[in-house]
Order: sequence, then structure tokens, then C-alpha cells
Amino acid sequence: MVGLVNAEPPENAGEYKNVLIFLETRQGKLAKPGLEMISVGAAIAHKVNEELIGIVMGNKIEGLVQEAGEYGCDKVIGLKSKDLEDFRTIPYSVNLSELITELKPNILLIPATRNGRDLASRIAVRSKTGVTADCTELDIDPAERILQARRPTYGESTLAEILCKRHRPQMATARPGIFSVPERDPKRKFVSEIRKTTIKKEFLKKEIVSFKPKSTLDLTSAKIIVSGGLGLGKPSGFKLLEELAGEIGASVGASRPTVDMGWIERDHQVGQTGQSVRPDIYIACGISGKAQHIMGMRLSKNIVSINTDASAELNSISDYIINEDLYKVIPELIDAIKRRKSGEKKPAEAPA
Amino acid sequence: MTLEIVVMIKQVPDSQEVVIDPVTFTLNRSAARNVINPADENAIEAALRIKDKEKDVHITVITMGPPFAETALIDAMARGVDDAILVSDRAFAGADTYPTGLTLAATITRMGKFDIIFAGEESTDSSTGHVGPGVAEFLGIEQASYTSSTWIEDEFVYADRELEDGIETVRMKSPCLITVLTNSNVPRNPTLRMKIDSIKKGIKTWSLADIGLKPEWVGLKGSPTIVKSMRTINEKKREGKKFKAGEMDKFVDELVSKGILKL
Ligand SMILES: Cc1cc2nc3c(=O)[nH]c(=O)nc-3n(C[C@H](O)[C@H](O)[C@H](O)COP(=O)(O)OP(=O)(O)OC[C@H]3O[C@@H](n4cnc5c(N)ncnc54)[C@H](O)[C@@H]3O)c2cc1C
Ligand SMILES: Cc1cc2nc3c(=O)[nH]c(=O)nc-3n(C[C@H](O)[C@H](O)[C@H](O)COP(=O)(O)OP(=O)(O)OC[C@H]3O[C@@H](n4cnc5c(N)ncnc54)[C@H](O)[C@@H]3O)c2cc1C
Repeated sequence: MVGLVNAEPPENAGEYKNVLIFLETRQGKLAKPGLEMISVGAAIAHKVNEELIGIVMGNKIEGLVQEAGEYGCDKVIGLKSKDLEDFRTIPYSVNLSELITELKPNILLIPATRNGRDLASRIAVRSKTGVTADCTELDIDPAERILQARRPTYGESTLAEILCKRHRPQMATARPGIFSVPERDPKRKFVSEIRKTTIKKEFLKKEIVSFKPKSTLDLTSAKIIVSGGLGLGKPSGFKLLEELAGEIGASVGASRPTVDMGWIERDHQVGQTGQSVRPDIYIACGISGKAQHIMGMRLSKNIVSINTDASAELNSISDYIINEDLYKVIPELIDAIKRRKSGEKKPAEAPA
Repeated sequence: MTLEIVVMIKQVPDSQEVVIDPVTFTLNRSAARNVINPADENAIEAALRIKDKEKDVHITVITMGPPFAETALIDAMARGVDDAILVSDRAFAGADTYPTGLTLAATITRMGKFDIIFAGEESTDSSTGHVGPGVAEFLGIEQASYTSSTWIEDEFVYADRELEDGIETVRMKSPCLITVLTNSNVPRNPTLRMKIDSIKKGIKTWSLADIGLKPEWVGLKGSPTIVKSMRTINEKKREGKKFKAGEMDKFVDELVSKGILKL
């Protein structure tokens, strides 16, 4: 507990060095959002001749520490305790903060996942420093060693560059699905260290009484996404989308209200509070293109909008616009794809 | 003993009314009304549900904001919240998440005893999600973030946290802080009768002096981060080529010939 005190810059800010990243684990494995920070973290560290140090916390972490090194951390520190097996805010934040006090990193990056944000918020206060949330671009000013943390704001229309000039470490959380995971190289050289720690009882008051895993759909690595919105009108609309998806090897995405109505599972949701995707082609069916949806898909290489409303917002960022009833045009599209696959010719147009 | 619940709410521009300019791709927020941040409506509802079920519960809503943020507090009281505090002072302007959390934590400390603090998962305007857990750290209490439900059983506070890979149920003793997911419940509507009652009852307004923080600790001065610049994100030029019903073979040909779709 820090008490009610202000954010205070250290006097020796210039002595803080290296980039620390928190490698989140899920069910005993390194989670993708943590690995996504390795390339960008290494690029920042190496630009100023510093090191990228990965932090892994958990119980059985020997293999994970090895893995983090093979992915590209210059150094990996594992904190091992059975009380760190599952993420819990207080034991994790107390331990990470002790490491920060010891290592004095110039920069600390944490993935902007639910547990990552939970942790980052408390670490920032414990360290009396600032944190830029949910960044999609991270760089460093090599002269001053100031982290240039950029985050989309106002419905992704603008990119704000936020700096933390005097306080240390300079913290940022990185939006999942934006930075890519580097190649794993079993021959890579790195330094590693595993420390056993014990956690005080007073920090273990919150108990996890149960965990119900859910199958998760990773839309962030999908090449093709067929996505449905309220324009489907009914839950069974997703059946039609699944049929189309099946023909072209696509995953199915969804707008938030369709998820809220229970038409489809939450792990299909694309957008600000869902997944950020960037497939080669995103086919939006009956999605209006509200800011919070666009946030999660505007980086798609190609966007197709199927919508009865010619003025739907999504159309303004689409490569292809099909201004039709989706129930009319999607079956036609499925037939056209089947014909193309089988090399058949299009049947003669019926006279109107 | 009374169970003291605090709900932290933020007033934001109604995101349903914020529209994207199709040409400049910027957000036009000027036309939007100010409303309670959507997740905070769910946080208020989560608190009211505890009050519905348990005996002797007292709920206070607090907000740090300009004087007109009192409409958000009145709205909350008209849903069944007992008391409201507006923490308002010129000195608070321009706060990043650190001084925002500090100001709210100091307000709660000044209030006296508290058992459960509710916050929204994040705001719709700058959506960092850092304020709730930040307050918990200032107060040195347990927290459960991203929750879909909270209940009390055998003197423990239970909460379901919705994570990317599953649902985690946690239990802890109060005092604790809970952040509530948007749309995790259906918030009740304010009633006109209660609105009139709450306007009569009135809200408390506290300034910087009331919460005992130094002026240089709050607002812009107390913020470790600064917004250096804002730039419009250059949209990839998108052609918006049109295809009609009856032209799906042509459309598929186009996608395949451009290498966009591989069949
Ligand atoms: C804090 C917050 C977070 C949010 N996060 C997300 C998020 O992560 N993801 C998300 O998607 N939303 C999110 N939203 C909700 C968002 O604001 C919009 O409400 C939502 O994206 C709209 O979904 P939609 O396009 O499916 O529905 P609508 O806006 O209702 O659009 C339906 C569209 O279907 C078209 N249509 C109707 N019938 C047909 C037909 N037969 N054929 C073809 N087209 C048809 C209509 O013309 C319309 O354009 C969030 C909101 C808030 C406040
Ligand atoms: C474009 C832009 C980008 C920004 N980026 C950052 C950034 O990266 N880092 C940073 O530190 N600051 C940032 N800020 C500043 C930030 O908006 C303020 O600190 C703000 O006071 C709180 O942040 P939030 O809206 O993200 O709250 P969140 O943490 O998203 O809010 C979560 C919950 O905390 C409670 N809460 C939040 N604010 C209040 C309040 N005033 N009164 C009562 N309860 C409240 C509510 O329950 C709310 O649901 C940014 C501001 C702008 C305009």
C-alpha cells in the first residue's frame, strides 16, 4: 500500500535502464499477448544498447523461462512459487514491484489483457509513475531514452502520443493482436535465472474458488473473417454465415450486440471490447460500423460491407460495398464460390 | 452494522450519439449528450442488487468532475442510491489516471468506513480501465476486476471475473474494490418520483481542501503522463467498389484475380 501520495519522479531517473516485459501466463502456458511484446520490446531496448528482460511468474516455470529466451528476450527472470501459480493481483503486483525496485528498468511493458491491465494499474501506483494504456505503436527517442507510447483514441480516429518524461519506469500496456510474435529459435543465446519466492499470508487473502475454462477462438490470427451484426435479424443468421465461412475457410466474427443477445459466443466478438483483428479479408454482414466495432477491424487488408443501408458508416472504410439484403446476396455468393471451385460457368441470367 | 458501498461514476459523452465523420474520419462529440459512463450504470445496478438482498446497506455515488456532472449523480440517486458526492475543483482539471485515482481514494478515505467500492471496467471516452484498480492500490485493498456478478455469502464477497480464457470465481473479505463489465446486468431506470426526491435531498460538493490533498498532487500538475501530440490516423484509401445482387460471380472473380481470396 502506498497511501495517499503523489506520483513522484526519482532523482536518479537517468540511472534507470533496460526494458522489462511481463510475460503473462494462462493455464500454465505463455500467453500470446505477452509474446507479442518481445519483438517491439527488443527493438526499443537495442536501439539504445540496452537489454530486453522478460519476467515470468508461476509455479512450474522452467520450460516457460526457456521458451521466453528462445523467442528473443536477452534475459529472463522467473519468479517461482506455488502461490504464483494463478494470477492474483496482490501477490503478482507485490513481487513485480520488488523486481522494479531492484532492477530499475527505464521501461516496463505489460499486455493490455484483462489481467495485464489489472496488474499495470496497481504497479503504476506502487511505482508512483504513469502508464499509457492500450498502445498500438511503441518506440523510443534514442537521445532522451523517452518511450513514445501511442494509443488510438476517439474511436480510433486519432493516435495520441503520450510521454512519461520524469517518472520511472515509463509504463505502457500493449493492445493484443497488434504486434507480431517473433520466430522461436531453440539455438538463441540468452541469460536466465529462476528465483524461488515466498509470499506473505497477508497478500493471499483473495482466493480463486473455481475456474471454468472456455474454449477460445483466436480471431487475431485468422486470414479470412465473415462477421455478422444485428442486420442478421435472428440467431439463425449465423448459420448462413457459417456456411459461407465453411466454403472459404473463414472464421466467424460478430458485433457486440449479437453477442449480448446470446446469438453467438463472446469469443467471436470483434471491436473495442472484443478482439482486434486484421485478416486479409473481413466480410461484414449487416454491421453498421459504429466506432467501437471499427476499432477492432479497420486494419483488415480488405473490407467487404454487405448492408441494405447505402449510407452505413462501415461503407466509408470498405473496399467493396454490396448494398443488398444479406439473405438474398449471401446465398448467391455461396453459389458463386461453389461454381468457381468446380469450374462451372455461371447459368444464363434469367430474364427480369 | 451498515454495509457501506461506494460507487465511482464518470460522466461521458453518449457514445451512441458520437458519430464518425465519413470524410475526415474524426469523431464528432459536440452534439452528444452527457450520460453516465455505460459500465458505471452496471456498477450502480450491481450495488443496488446487493442492497435489494441484504439488510442495512447504504450506497454513496461519487464523481470527480465539473459542476455539471451533478446530473449524473442525480440520475444515480433516482435509481435508488442513497447519497452522492461531487468532487469538484479547478485544480482537478487535466488529471491522468494517477491523480484521478488519488483524488477518488482521498474522497473515499474522507467519507469514513467503506466495505465495497464499485467502479466500471472502463470509461467510453479514454477507456484506460486503470482508475478502479488504482484506487484499490491507494487504499491497499483487494480487488476483482472485469466482473459479471458480485454477491455476498457467509461474510465473504464473491465475484465472477470474465477472463479471455474462462470465468474465474473469487472470494475475499471486505473492504474490496470490484470493477463491473459493461452490459453485465440490466440497469433499472430512474423514476421521476425518486428524481424529485433526490433533487430535494441534494448532493454534497467537496473541493480540494475538503479531501486534504496538495494542489500540486492533483490535476494536470500531479499527472506523470502528458499528451505530446494527436494525429489523425491516415486511413488506407479504400475504393468502395460496388457489386449488386446477380453479380456475385463477377465479385468472386475479382477477389480471386486480385489474390485476395484463394479458393
Ligand atoms: C463501451 C462500449 C463498448 C463497445 N464495444 C463494442 C465492440 O467491441 N464491438 C462491437 O461490435 N460493438 C461494440 N459496442 C457497440 C457499438 O456501439 C454498436 O452498438 C454495435 O457495434 C452495433 O452493432 P451492429 O452493427 O451489429 O448493429 P446496428 O448498428 O444495429 O447495425 C445493423 C446494420 O444491419 C443493417 N441491416 C439490417 N438488415 C439487414 C439485412 N437484411 N441485410 C443487410 N444489412 C442489414 C442495417 O442497415 C444496419 O447498418 C460497444 C459499445 C460501448 C458503449
Ligand atoms: C485521448 C486521451 C487519452 C488518454 N490516455 C491516457 C493514458 O494512456 N494514461 C493515463 O494515465 N491517462 C490517460 N488519459 C487521461 C484520462 O482520461 C483521465 O485520467 C481520466 O480522468 C480517467 O481515465 P479513464 O477515463 O480512462 O478512466 P477508466 O480507468 O477507464 O475508468 C474506469 C472507472 O473508474 C471510475 N472513474 C473514472 N474516472 C472517474 C471520475 N472522474 N470520477 C469517478 N469515477 C471515475 C469509473 O467507475 C470508471 O468506469 C487520456 C485522456 C485522453 C483525453
